[in-house]
Amino acid sequence: MSTRVLHVGLSGLAIMLVSPGEGAGHEIVGNRFFPATLGIDDPGVNDELSIPTVAAFKTGDDPSFKQRDISGEFSKRITEAFAVSFGVTHSHLSAPGGLTGMGADGFQNLETTFKYRLFKDPVHEFVMSVGLSVEWGRTGAQSVGAEQVHTYEPTFYFGKGFGDLPDTLSWIRPVAVTGQIGYAIPGRRSTNTFGVDPDSGDPTVDTELHPRVLNWGGTVQYSMPYLKSAVIDLGLPDFVNRFIPLVEATLQTPVSNTFTSGTVTTGTINPGFLWIGNGFQIGVEALIPINRQSGTNVGVIGQLHFYLDDLDPRGLGRPIFGSAVPPATPFARN
Amino acid sequence: MRRTTFVGLVPLLLLLVTGEATAHAFLDHAEPRVGNKVDAAPREVTLWFTQKLEPAFSTITVTNAAGQRVDTGKTRVNGNQMAISLRAGGAGTYHVTWRVLSVDTHTSDGNFTFQVGP
Repeated sequence: MSTRVLHVGLSGLAIMLVSPGEGAGHEIVGNRFFPATLGIDDPGVNDELSIPTVAAFKTGDDPSFKQRDISGEFSKRITEAFAVSFGVTHSHLSAPGGLTGMGADGFQNLETTFKYRLFKDPVHEFVMSVGLSVEWGRTGAQSVGAEQVHTYEPTFYFGKGFGDLPDTLSWIRPVAVTGQIGYAIPGRRSTNTFGVDPDSGDPTVDTELHPRVLNWGGTVQYSMPYLKSAVIDLGLPDFVNRFIPLVEATLQTPVSNTFTSGTVTTGTINPGFLWIGNGFQIGVEALIPINRQSGTNVGVIGQLHFYLDDLDPRGLGRPIFGSAVPPATPFARN
Repeated sequence: MRRTTFVGLVPLLLLLVTGEATAHAFLDHAEPRVGNKVDAAPREVTLWFTQKLEPAFSTITVTNAAGQRVDTGKTRVNGNQMAISLRAGGAGTYHVTWRVLSVDTHTSDGNFTFQVGP
């Protein structure tokens, strides 16, 4: 019996690693409004709907191929600090992508994320949360690289605004950073596929290894709404005051069970902007691969995102249990 | 799937198109303007928000550079506008701290400064 390592599985892994994640949520902490970002999740918990998120890029496979993703995510607060989100992505792989090399269409695995806000400090504009994301194996199409095993990913999120800087650094106050770090653990270390060698007729087994992957990333944002409302009103047009230019980084590093995947970090740097509307936001970012394994061209990602807690505050946009609003104590901090 | 998605989006789009959508009350602008300098100490500070406010839990405090309150303590709320009168003051940096409850039950708060001087 011969043993071969399946490179198709690696190709699937590469697709998973290169595919941009979905950002979701917006969080308000004191003066600071942490918007939903496209590459990584925001640090808070909210009622949100991201639909659609559209991404187009060339993969890091060899040979590379074009991939287009259309995805959606719905996030619902169960309590004021705990939410569950559901995400789905449809992928279109152009030739020579897919298992047959002729391209493929299909859904990626369904994803569910449980997220709990641990701490929020309005004075220092700091918030942190923890979560557990589950990618449900076998719910997507193998032809577009969907894994056949469940993957569990505990994740830590944080956000920090610089609004507490002294007056001499007031122009930096609109800056905020957010970040996340997660550890993706496949439900199995490997998958064996049994077959028959067409030449010799001997039985074969193909082994696909499932590496554990560190998913990490961050954003640096400059909030024009913050500049106008908390630092200085320059009298700029309202359209301009709604922009948040930002740079995101989404990176993946295989760290365990990496015999076939290697340990090279892949990912993208995403410069772009968000535009904040009344109850929604629009985001557009470039996807710049950090190395050959991450992609061969600059891609693009765009998203329309709805704040359900603003659009329907007494219905869909409120927690299922408990109050959306903490007891009002005017000037509690004074 | 696509039809389901579209049906789900319709109420949201209607909310946006008809202007029925409400949101957290954010500070739209202020007088004196945020971070700006005025020649003489103003007699009051007025804030305009992006949403209508609930008067009961919407308040402003204003302090001078020494941290002493210079407002009269009585906030006036009218629709999306909130104001408070100030006692006579001198030159320097004034700190404005606000907290509002919008009519859609969201609370938000914030602060900013303005300067008084030649």
